[in-house]
Amino acid sequence: MVHEDYKEMIPARALTALDAAEARALDDHLENCADCRRELAEWEATAASLALTPNPMEPSAAVRERILEEVRNDVSAAEVISFPATPRSVWSSFGSLGAMAAVVLLAALLVSLVVIWKQNETMKPVREFAQLVTTPGAKVSELKGIELGSGATASFVYDKTGHAMLMANKLPSLPEGKAYQLWYIVANKPPMPGKTFRPDDAGKGILKDQMPAGALDSPKFAITVEAESGAQAPTMPMYLRSFEID
Amino acid sequence: MYEIRVYLLTRIFLRLQPELAQDNDVQLLKAIAARDEAALAQLYDRYRVILFGLLMRILNNREEAEDVLQEVFLQVWRKAADFDENRGRPFTWLVTLGRSRAIDRLRTLAARERVAEAGAREVIEETSDAATDAFKSEQRGLVSDALAKLPDEQKGPIMLAYFEGLSQSEIASRLGAPLGTVKTRMRTGMIRLRELLAGQGESFGF
Repeated sequence: MVHEDYKEMIPARALTALDAAEARALDDHLENCADCRRELAEWEATAASLALTPNPMEPSAAVRERILEEVRNDVSAAEVISFPATPRSVWSSFGSLGAMAAVVLLAALLVSLVVIWKQNETMKPVREFAQLVTTPGAKVSELKGIELGSGATASFVYDKTGHAMLMANKLPSLPEGKAYQLWYIVANKPPMPGKTFRPDDAGKGILKDQMPAGALDSPKFAITVEAESGAQAPTMPMYLRSFEID
Repeated sequence: MYEIRVYLLTRIFLRLQPELAQDNDVQLLKAIAARDEAALAQLYDRYRVILFGLLMRILNNREEAEDVLQEVFLQVWRKAADFDENRGRPFTWLVTLGRSRAIDRLRTLAARERVAEAGAREVIEETSDAATDAFKSEQRGLVSDALAKLPDEQKGPIMLAYFEGLSQSEIASRLGAPLGTVKTRMRTGMIRLRELLAGQGESFGF
């Protein structure tokens, strides 16, 4: 794809109307093209003008009160993350951790994140991950390496809108042209593709993604190795997969 | 003569309003980032009717729209520090947050139950323009006029994308049109809309 192709996609991107593959390609391009980022901002302003066309409407006064009450009870960064009381449907091919083990694991994760954060304020990805973890309603899932990915671990967090982040460790190195790809797995649906990423020399990988809307309902996660441009369906065995936490 | 002077001064004031409003909004977001609850309340009071109207247009359900409205402003509270005035206007940022959340909610709702047919839409209550400040009323009229000038074949894909969150492929399927045709019409329509809005903005001045 040449630069002009990306520019032509920008108005549709401002409307969030690009299909998934084009959206990812453009998003990857935007990370490295300030000119296109500026142009996107202008088109987003044009798109935002459409918000003025529906009839203005008055919400109930209670909404304002709820917002301000929640702001006053602003949650601290040390809030314990709550999980749904009733587990959703279990996918029996994945194992499960006891509730106690899950709490210990998450407490250890949060403590280690806070320690790292305090030790190095410039570790932006860790800070972003911690912020997302403490977002009300956020959910965390742990992935473990299997077979080819044995020894690797990853933590995945996402909020109610599908803003997501993955941090992985001890990933095997990859040859040129290959990357790890995240998959969203929901019962009765084919795996949905996420973004790709390559590990650094230390085997660490970081990924930010926007989950497809259809993936928000009790997803499980897996990581395979694919071509660096990504695949629409898994072509390789899993390297890491998630465990269900009760 | 007096009436003409008042009219011209009003037009000049309204012409300057975008810049004044934007500066004010930027200051509000900075205050919110500094944990100023009163600033959040002020921003809410300024934009609640426009945002809620947008959310109702997308969700067609008061309870869901109010829930999303609450989520949007809590997100503003948490993310105000992330707003970069060099990358766009506060209004664009706010509307983008609201629309994104509403479309996500729409998809979640559609996944669980059938979306009500158009004939069963809730009665949309009209809100007097007195509830919206003069600046936004004027802008609303300009955008509506510009949209009305677009051919239906261009306006349709834009509206389906913006208010129903459809992708270009989904729009092509909905309209029974080739994907390439939808892409061209959407792009052409957006370019024309931008030209019309820019043209109206310029003619607004003296």
